[in-house]
Amino acid sequence: MRADVTRDFEAVLGPDGVITDPTQLRAYECDGLTGYRVVPGLVLLPRGKDEVVAAVRVCARHGIPFVARGAGTGLSGGALPCADGVVISLQRLRRIVHVDVENRRAVVEPGVTNLDITRAVARHNLYYAPDPSSQQVCTIGGNVAENSGGAHCLKYGFTVHHVLAATVVLPDGTLAELGGTSAQNEGYDLLGVVIGSEGTLGIVVEVVVNLLPKPESVRTLVADFDSVDRACRTVSAIVAAGIVPAAIEMMDALAIEAVEVAVSAGYRPTAAALIVELDGPRAEVETQFAQVVQICEAHGTSALRVATDDAERAAIWKGRKAAFAAVGRISPDYLVQDGVVPRTRLAETLARIAELGAAASLRVANVFHAGDGNLHPLVLYNEARGELERAEELSTRIAELCVELGGSLSGEHGIGSDKACSMPRQFGPDDIAAMRRLRTAFDPDGLSNPGKVLPTPRLCGERPGPYRPHPLEAAGVIERI
Amino acid sequence: MLREHTTGPILVRGQGTAPDWGGRAEPPDVVVETNDLNGVLRHDPEDMTVAVRAGTRLDTLQEALAEYGQRISVDPARAVRGASIGGLVATADAGPLRQAFGSLRELVIGVAFVLADGTSVRSGGQVIKNVAGYDLSKLLHGSLGTLGILTEIVLRVHPLPKATTTIAVSCSAAEAVRAGRALVGAAIEPAALEWSDGTLYVRVEGTPAGTDDRARRVLDLVEAGSRLSESEARAAWDRMAAVALADPGDTVVRLGTLPSATAWLVDLVARLAERHGVDTTLTCSVGTGIHNARLRQAAPGRHAALLEDLRKGLAAGNGTAVVIRPDGLEADFPTRGQPPAGINVMRAIKKRFDPGGRLGTGRFAPWF
Repeated sequence: MRADVTRDFEAVLGPDGVITDPTQLRAYECDGLTGYRVVPGLVLLPRGKDEVVAAVRVCARHGIPFVARGAGTGLSGGALPCADGVVISLQRLRRIVHVDVENRRAVVEPGVTNLDITRAVARHNLYYAPDPSSQQVCTIGGNVAENSGGAHCLKYGFTVHHVLAATVVLPDGTLAELGGTSAQNEGYDLLGVVIGSEGTLGIVVEVVVNLLPKPESVRTLVADFDSVDRACRTVSAIVAAGIVPAAIEMMDALAIEAVEVAVSAGYRPTAAALIVELDGPRAEVETQFAQVVQICEAHGTSALRVATDDAERAAIWKGRKAAFAAVGRISPDYLVQDGVVPRTRLAETLARIAELGAAASLRVANVFHAGDGNLHPLVLYNEARGELERAEELSTRIAELCVELGGSLSGEHGIGSDKACSMPRQFGPDDIAAMRRLRTAFDPDGLSNPGKVLPTPRLCGERPGPYRPHPLEAAGVIERI
Repeated sequence: MLREHTTGPILVRGQGTAPDWGGRAEPPDVVVETNDLNGVLRHDPEDMTVAVRAGTRLDTLQEALAEYGQRISVDPARAVRGASIGGLVATADAGPLRQAFGSLRELVIGVAFVLADGTSVRSGGQVIKNVAGYDLSKLLHGSLGTLGILTEIVLRVHPLPKATTTIAVSCSAAEAVRAGRALVGAAIEPAALEWSDGTLYVRVEGTPAGTDDRARRVLDLVEAGSRLSESEARAAWDRMAAVALADPGDTVVRLGTLPSATAWLVDLVARLAERHGVDTTLTCSVGTGIHNARLRQAAPGRHAALLEDLRKGLAAGNGTAVVIRPDGLEADFPTRGQPPAGINVMRAIKKRFDPGGRLGTGRFAPWF
């Protein structure tokens, strides 16, 4: 980074708000997608929204690209730095500014973790509903960027359904409050497009979230099935009965094996384990839960376990939420993929994934949100045996398969840098051009997290397809770990 | 067609149930009628999604979905007049069910639309969970036909509840807000909470046994509550919808406040109605803070004067007002107040999507 630019950043953030030391910069070179690393020119650590504004203004003045970063747990490389740009970390903006119990909302800074919001309001019997599995660590700012869902989004929706307003620093350094005090806002729904925009339309520096009362009753079960197909048909029957559970999750045999090795959550070896959780008013839950049990039995569950207390329920979820990390116990390396297919095509998709995995001679463990068709195939590989390239090809193929089957490249993790080149599989050129019109309206100079979400010829070559080295990698600037 | 044959202002018309919603458009050169752009393209009951052409009437769609035990969980008053789904999305209209389900913003999962230059664009898709790319359906929602002409809309559906019941509670607006808060806080999950003219109506939906139980708990938690019969309930909800629907000559304003400011708003409106001599009725969604004020036909200038005062009051209280029917206002009455934050970005978006400024010209005047 040019000395004069560094000086300008230090002038507005203080010397301890700017990281220049190369060893420290490496700590920010990747997010949860650890296979791609780029060392940024600088890392900035603003302490409040005014400092974020000041930092972005310096960027705008000098034409410096910037990448916002929360906890760095993202799985699509959305926080991958630009070598010639800065990372603006929001980790120091972690205050809970205000809790309005009467109107059931809270004003928080972007660096507050998802679970800390719930902790802060728990004594009022309230909670923040979207629950990504990384919620202990991931930040609300990151959740806003990705429009995160979580296991309970089947009933409760996504981040966009729980954010009432957000203060955004636009790429030109101006501050804008989107949404507002009331639920009715005039003009275009800028808040609605910023949520899920993966840091490409500016930086969120304050969020007003909606809080819900804790449900009166929660009932959870795990039902084992001798095939994924049978489990999927059970899910269909639950949906057909007009029941909307709070969550329906499924894990296949490989995922279950990993989970039990890692955390011993009480899952039995089986082809498919179905977790169904209902919550809501007690009388509704009791009626519908009885129906769910009946449906599982009618579809031939080989073993059914109902959680009888909070501890058992917690163990069930501990197992499910540890699944990604758990596969690290049964494989030296793994890639997490994220795709969506229409729920009715889940069984078909899993069969195709198994075929693709066999063809690539790689194992794939499957954990998924069976209620909404959002899959997380975990591609297991061994880097040391040179399997990375094959694993990445398989992972990309799976994501594109989801599009072929009428679904989407991403249900939760975002497009980031990982899937930008696959976007033309899902959207036509005019669709992507329209998205560009929106992006350019916010960011005419292209400084806000460039290279993410939309394909560029530089990153993707002339056509998407099998794996090609990243241009920076081919040039020896970045390396694959 | 748009690209080649015309150059002036373009107006989109669905069923014509909200012609001047938000702002009067300038007289157009071209009117695109979406009446024939109707029909279900695809219904996947098991996936809980339905794709329709934008000109499809909501009431017709609801009838078709009901045969599968499903519905779109939105109940805007003007559905009964045959409003099209495209029009409802473009106006961001919704009804009392917003308490439990939000609006079409929450229910639309994909759109197709045509830009002023004739380009066809798709956004979102057929699946409920989808974060690929920018969510342009959010951009189109509430855009009043100024960014593109909606041609197809994909929505998520919900199961039709097997039972529904309504409890009426005699109370003031302030008491209604408190009661609403208590009912939500007690995790009863009411589907709707609407107050009007001294009565709070609480709607509960679900399984027959569950609904019964929750209705009893509502009665336990409130004072002076009574469960309505099916016909009484229907009449009550129709009466409240009539406020938003109104009649020729009326002015209707949709107001947004913090839920806790409802009583303050009710007082403000009552005072202004008296000051300006206008017969005004208010319905309030006490849980979400969205309200409808119907100003009955009055002497010229009275509605305008009331609205000006209302706007000043709202500015102080951080509320918003959208004129959804301007009949009692002169053609040159400024229906828009202060521009919202982010107005520069909105102008930039408008410029990029419709450089010629042809679509719905005037809807957002004087902002752009």
